[in-house]
Amino acid sequence: MSIANKNNYGYITPNDFNLYAKQAQLDIFEDYFYQYNSWVVKQNARVSGSGYADILRGLVEVIDSFSETRGLTNTGINLFNLPEDYYLINKINLYPNIITSSTTTAAALNTLTDTNATFNNGSVLPGQIVYNSSLTSVSSGVSAYVISVDSATQLTLSANPFGTAATIGNGYVIATTAGIREIERVSQNKIFYLNSSHLTSPTTSYPAYVLGGATAGTFGNTLTVYPTTITISSGIVVSQYIRYPLDPNWTYSSLTGGEPVFDEGQADYQDFELPESDEPNIVNKILQYAGVSIREEQIVAFGQLQESEDNTQQN
Amino acid sequence: MAYITDYQYYENNGTAPEDSNWGSYQYVTLDDIVTNFILMYVGNDKLINNVEKYNILFHAKRGIQELNYDAMKEIKILELNVSDQLRFILPQDYVNWVRISLYKNGVLMPLTENIQTNWSGAYLQDNNYRILFDENGNILKPENSTLDMDRIANTQKSIYLNANSPQNGNEGFNIDGMWYFDYNIGNRFGLNTETANANPTFVIDKASGVINFSSGMSGELCILEYVSDGMKNGVDSQINLNKLFEDFIYAYIKYAILTSKYGVQEYIINRAKKDKAALLRNAKLRLSNIHPGRLLMNLRGQSKWLK
Repeated sequence: MSIANKNNYGYITPNDFNLYAKQAQLDIFEDYFYQYNSWVVKQNARVSGSGYADILRGLVEVIDSFSETRGLTNTGINLFNLPEDYYLINKINLYPNIITSSTTTAAALNTLTDTNATFNNGSVLPGQIVYNSSLTSVSSGVSAYVISVDSATQLTLSANPFGTAATIGNGYVIATTAGIREIERVSQNKIFYLNSSHLTSPTTSYPAYVLGGATAGTFGNTLTVYPTTITISSGIVVSQYIRYPLDPNWTYSSLTGGEPVFDEGQADYQDFELPESDEPNIVNKILQYAGVSIREEQIVAFGQLQESEDNTQQN
Repeated sequence: MAYITDYQYYENNGTAPEDSNWGSYQYVTLDDIVTNFILMYVGNDKLINNVEKYNILFHAKRGIQELNYDAMKEIKILELNVSDQLRFILPQDYVNWVRISLYKNGVLMPLTENIQTNWSGAYLQDNNYRILFDENGNILKPENSTLDMDRIANTQKSIYLNANSPQNGNEGFNIDGMWYFDYNIGNRFGLNTETANANPTFVIDKASGVINFSSGMSGELCILEYVSDGMKNGVDSQINLNKLFEDFIYAYIKYAILTSKYGVQEYIINRAKKDKAALLRNAKLRLSNIHPGRLLMNLRGQSKWLK
């Protein structure tokens, strides 16, 4: 903003800045996937090195920092809802070996308490996955792992799959991490043929899914999983996906001389999620958007020039 | 770490069936084949990328099927009593037969396939030889054709073999254990070696899924040796392959995918093809188990005097 406000007439509001920042971050985030593909081609052409010259690995690390693993909520039959923040599904897994399922009876962070359970009977073990199966919960589908079996009625978990607010009355499912099957994505125009083929029809050993449209409500797209016998009662369906970066939010607490004073202590403060090495790119992008906004051609040109130089250097 | 413990191998951890792991180390599962192939042969820096898993699964199963038909020698054996209709219903996983034998008095007697048919379908006809139909326009059929009825009633001729009898090699009727012959009239041209057999004969009706035997098999015990396709009735988790063929199956899948992919250079396909053929040859040689000791046993008879 110091570049845009060089002559003291380039002022943009925090709200505008947040919008440009979000746009800039998304641009760069998406560019990572194109760069990844471009570097795969280069690697196959043997123009990429190893060790510190392994550009591809660096790109993968950034992309993987947006990786999320989350159980999918089931609507009763073989339909599962994707989380609404997904950008790209990497894989969908089926945990077919359910140990137990019931409802929580007490509230505590990173803990599962069910007074009706007998967790210490030898079937529930550390490392098993716990999944929030409540459709009504804000944390529906969130999963965690069993850290320890504290008693017959209580488990310590690696995270809090039931959210921080409501932890009583949430449905849960516990499954082993053995025998996990990857559910394969199949296009809509192939699924009929796949289901009709003796050799390839989906089974619990080789399940498949097709991606459908979004459903009403807050959830993302819907998966239809085959064979149709796969429901919440036959296994937990867990997705590993790349989420969108969180929207950056430049927060301020007070106005001094008519200008907002930055305050990162605000509850809704959100920094950029891209690596620090992307800061010049983000600034260039924001400058371009801000320059268009305040009709300052020099700023737009400066941003474009810087971005162009960066791209030349990287390629 | 061992794949399975000794206790698991010998006694399946005490759960029935306790013999389920015996000999399992010879085999690699379909699941392992697909997983290993994806891990080792598919990727951005490999010859194959952007391939759906069901493609790999399909070709893996097709490869296993092909191997089961001839190379694998995984013979299945089923024993059943032949009904008075002289039929033996083919097993559910039957693909082709290897040998069919009669087990009688403690002796296994391999049977000969009859090159002439011993069964047929039939249509009902009126006195003017016109085919009869029902009210829906469907042809009326008898339960058994005349050919079938004669076979079941044992009113067909067969060759009598008894070196001590003057009727040796003649065609006759065997009714209730007694042989009846025609008068010897006209020229005789010796025994038809293709059909000459003292034991009952059979013809396989593939479309109907049965083996039709000659009358001597009624109530007898039949041993069918046959090959299946290794698909274990569609239970994917039970499908496996002998480890001697493991490299071949990867080469087979690789070739099958490369050859059906657009834009793959011909030399790459040819390389994959040669790879596949060489590995199949290797595996067959390994499986044939030609040991010097076994050859020696056979060669011991080379200088035996024939008296």
